Amino acid sequence: MRLILRNLDTIRGILDKNKKLACLKPIINAIDGFYFGTDKVTSLPHILDHMDLKRYMTFVIVGLLPATIAAVYMWGLRVLAVIAVSYIFGGIVEAAFAVIRKKEIHEGFLVTGLIFPLILPPTIPLWLVAVGVMFGVMFGKEVFGGTGRNIFNPAIVGRIFLTVAFPQMMTTSWSHPFTHGLGGFVNYSADAVAQATPLALFKAEKIVTHYGDLFFGNTMGCIGETCRAGIILGGIFLIAAKISNWRLPLSCLLSLIVFSTLGNIFAPDIFAPALFQILSGGFLFGIFFMVTDPVTAPCTRAGKWIGGALFGFLVVLIRGLSGYVEGVMFSILLLNVFAPLIDHVVVDVKYPKLKT
Amino acid sequence: MKKMRTFKGGYRFLNFEGQPKDILEEASIPSRVTIPLRQGFGGEGDCLVNPGDKVSAGQIIGAHDYGVSSPVHASISGVVTEVKRFNYFKRDCLMVSIQGDGSPEYQRATGATSAWEQLSEEAIERLLYLSGVTALDREGIPTRMRSSVILPEDVTSLIIHGVGSEPYNTSLEMQLQGKHMLNLVEGIRILRKIMAKAKVYLAINCQRKKILEQINKLTAQYEWLEVCPLEPRYPQGFDEMLVSAILGQKFPYGYSAANIGVVILNVQAVLQAYEAVVEGKPLIERTIALCGPAFKEPLHIKARIGTALNDIVSPRIKEGITPRFVLNGILTGPELKDLTLPIDKTYAQILAIPENHKREFLSFLQFGPLSDSYSHTFVAQAYSKAVKSCETNMHGEARPCISCNYCEEVCPVGIIPHLLSKYVQRSIIDETLMNLRIFNCIECGLCSYVCPSKIPLAKHIKEGQEKLTVSGCDRNQCILPYFSNLRGIEEYRGAKQL
Repeated sequence: MRLILRNLDTIRGILDKNKKLACLKPIINAIDGFYFGTDKVTSLPHILDHMDLKRYMTFVIVGLLPATIAAVYMWGLRVLAVIAVSYIFGGIVEAAFAVIRKKEIHEGFLVTGLIFPLILPPTIPLWLVAVGVMFGVMFGKEVFGGTGRNIFNPAIVGRIFLTVAFPQMMTTSWSHPFTHGLGGFVNYSADAVAQATPLALFKAEKIVTHYGDLFFGNTMGCIGETCRAGIILGGIFLIAAKISNWRLPLSCLLSLIVFSTLGNIFAPDIFAPALFQILSGGFLFGIFFMVTDPVTAPCTRAGKWIGGALFGFLVVLIRGLSGYVEGVMFSILLLNVFAPLIDHVVVDVKYPKLKT
Repeated sequence: MKKMRTFKGGYRFLNFEGQPKDILEEASIPSRVTIPLRQGFGGEGDCLVNPGDKVSAGQIIGAHDYGVSSPVHASISGVVTEVKRFNYFKRDCLMVSIQGDGSPEYQRATGATSAWEQLSEEAIERLLYLSGVTALDREGIPTRMRSSVILPEDVTSLIIHGVGSEPYNTSLEMQLQGKHMLNLVEGIRILRKIMAKAKVYLAINCQRKKILEQINKLTAQYEWLEVCPLEPRYPQGFDEMLVSAILGQKFPYGYSAANIGVVILNVQAVLQAYEAVVEGKPLIERTIALCGPAFKEPLHIKARIGTALNDIVSPRIKEGITPRFVLNGILTGPELKDLTLPIDKTYAQILAIPENHKREFLSFLQFGPLSDSYSHTFVAQAYSKAVKSCETNMHGEARPCISCNYCEEVCPVGIIPHLLSKYVQRSIIDETLMNLRIFNCIECGLCSYVCPSKIPLAKHIKEGQEKLTVSGCDRNQCILPYFSNLRGIEEYRGAKQL
């Protein structure tokens, strides 16, 4: 601890003397704040909650751990390389913007850097990860003014950019997961195969994959979205810790159940049954970790219920009727678009004009 | 079992270190006191003494008859040394200094009797008024002597509360020990005699089961009295929340409960009213809870009004600590910077918490067995007996709002603090803010407390209110159209300005 403090002081001393390097101060300050917290004191109220944004973001990462560990097991150690690339290149963009703006580096990126690799296919080339995360952080977050001001979830922006720009690599090649022994913990990567994901199988051949396989992750799919058991565990942990609000995941889930059941009754060939829809694709990952991103989701309580209903409806609609196999990604983006409008309407209804 | 009355939002503060023990210590009679002539509700009284005059404890030294006010007494016997204006809580206030002779005796009011039931209403009101008790709490006790903004016959409900929803509370057990429990009931009966139309509600912390049981027994025979057990969830003890929880009535935010015919008193005020009427004791001393981890032994102390803060707190502070002193409520109270100032009628608790400038290594990875938080991210939230630390560190750096909605979830009056704060920070000051009910804010400070981005939301909201007022918006516009029967509005405004 002393060692870190001394090193930081030396570096700061160098930066103070050298004018050219002085612009790197936000980075040093971020490291300093990361390790040691604050020495500021309160004004009014005289005491403050012990929670801060660092802890908030740390907990999201802890919530993501079960899914991440499962991902390493299933797809091999290459997953770690993908995550590392995402953190490094995303971090460079984040730091660059902080240096240019002369503002502090914020913690939000810690989460984006982990969520982004988890929603990519396991066969993704590493350079594509770098391109995606840089695009996502820059156009999903920084151009709007950084953490707290972004309209879109940066991870989703990156992912959609890749899907649209490199459809070949994003949608056709998947891997077979390891399921026996030490699996991915001792292998670098899983074998790439040209096979379809459960949702694609349903769309093309009306095959409903075995629910047990879906639940534990023995299917094709993106890196972090297949082990639903781990996702549910992490998601419930976050809700119990009051990090993510329970309203939004619940309303998304209910809405999906209602609309997919309705669809399944009237057009069973187009709309898959509710349980299959819940357990397939990125739905669970989406509702527990991406929709609940507080910055981009509706913030009012009623808005959360409305937004969740909209989300479930969109997922069923896009999965069933569009040319795309998976609808979660676009639904999140659309929910982000509608969130400010939903909030606006909710606030207008909740606070009627004053009587005169 | 009836459903417990409560309100939406709020936060339960549990087990902060340094709760005052159930001990009552008598402070020694000070050799010198300084008595502000404006204490509690009402205007400043005219000074009735001159330097050099001999006064005896209990003698009225400040009063006036033309506005809302209550008399002020000399709290010790001795000689007036100085009459001077001081800056007292950001306002100019005339203060009388008395050099005491050390005798503990005091003058009792004439006419006080334990057979108070034979007294006329007017005689009781006189006793209450002359004892100075009528200035207590937010809008005083109404009497015919204009001690409050309404008259006693206008009172429809009288709420007496010992809810204790703050992180630190005066101990109810200490206040009601021994015969004080009977005195409380007696005091309520006295007040009810002058406010004959009022229904009385006795709001008690629902976890004080023993006290509730005793009170239920003692008061079962009075059909005009209802005992309401309330959950001590902050800010339940605020007037606004008591009215909405107990009466289910809307509160005229920005005004006082008296304007809708409700009088709200503390348990201590009722006890003092009893002492005034039965024993003729003027309000010259009061019980103050000394709370917080910076005290050697947190306890309650009975001290004469006008005693310098220094005399009370300095010998009781732990050594080697820089404390911060706060008056009446750790989330809302002003900081007591000048310890030479005296205590007055309104002092219910003095909090001392250590200033903490220490940086914590990797604070976001700590388990936090002592850390209090609205979120469930610390070990301390997992077991209810955890004793939470209390100091002034920010526990995190200021960050932009991430709309986590904690502030809206805890807001007791149903406004959206982070939205208001965003408007104010971007200097959008117009009717939108009023539409979002910015004037409903009761300044409980809970939004600032829970914010993980450490944004001073309550401060921003207050700034917004001030800027709106400066730009010519009238806060009455938010209140008056919704109430048809507000009483004493002019007097209330007048009393606030005096």
